[in-house]
Amino acid sequence: MDALVNKRIAKVIKGDQNAFAEIVELYQHQLYHICYRMLGNKQEAEDIAQEAFMRAYANIRTFDQNRKFSTWLYRIATNLCIDRIRKKKPDYHLDAEVRGAEGLNMYSKIANDDELPEEELMRMEVQERVQYEISRLPDKYRAAIVLKYIEELPLAEISEILDLPLGTVKTRIHRGREALRKQLSNL
Amino acid sequence: MNACPENIIQLMNDHLDGDTSPSEEQQLKEYLESCEDCREQYQALSKTVAFIQSISHIQAPPNFVQTTMERLPKEKQRAGVQR
Repeated sequence: MDALVNKRIAKVIKGDQNAFAEIVELYQHQLYHICYRMLGNKQEAEDIAQEAFMRAYANIRTFDQNRKFSTWLYRIATNLCIDRIRKKKPDYHLDAEVRGAEGLNMYSKIANDDELPEEELMRMEVQERVQYEISRLPDKYRAAIVLKYIEELPLAEISEILDLPLGTVKTRIHRGREALRKQLSNL
Repeated sequence: MNACPENIIQLMNDHLDGDTSPSEEQQLKEYLESCEDCREQYQALSKTVAFIQSISHIQAPPNFVQTTMERLPKEKQRAGVQR
């Protein structure tokens, strides 16, 4: 697989854009799926997955062909997803009062945004519910959980994608798993 | 549920990561047989993993390759336009 990909990369570097289309073809579904599980939204997943391919194309010369291409590509994509998630949740001053809502501060607003009422949760399909709970995880746990359980990647590879020591990856998976256990306990 | 010993929790997590030696596995197994709280905790975590893994793989939209290629910067025409 990697020899095949490297051949195409060599062509892309020589200016053959069609060779890049073949790379997109190969990785599109996995990359889109990671983005979708990270972001929980189809439009955003498509946008970010495409953005990741564009960046890979623009920086293809910097890719070290002795390494695994998918690791490099997933790293670009997870970083973009994390950026997007952080932009969606602006850095409010948590104790500032919410305009038009006397006595309510950002804590209560965030809590409201984050959790649907129990009866609504119970109506959800299992798949939808699991996705919803994943998307409530803090982004750093979310990335580790998605790569581990959705992509089923080995811990060493996740550590390379997220650029974190193995021990940190394990901690994040453990905490993410524990958080999901609590969130899904009524399922 | 919170009374489970730290080292057993660690073993559970390592086991769920597929990161335990046979002797550690045995140790965990023996402990789980003796402690109901730990057993429940372990089962709940395993169930959580099964739920996460049950969500299906979805595919990129059918025209994904084409729309991605359209977003790339236009190819430099090095050898002139070929017809």
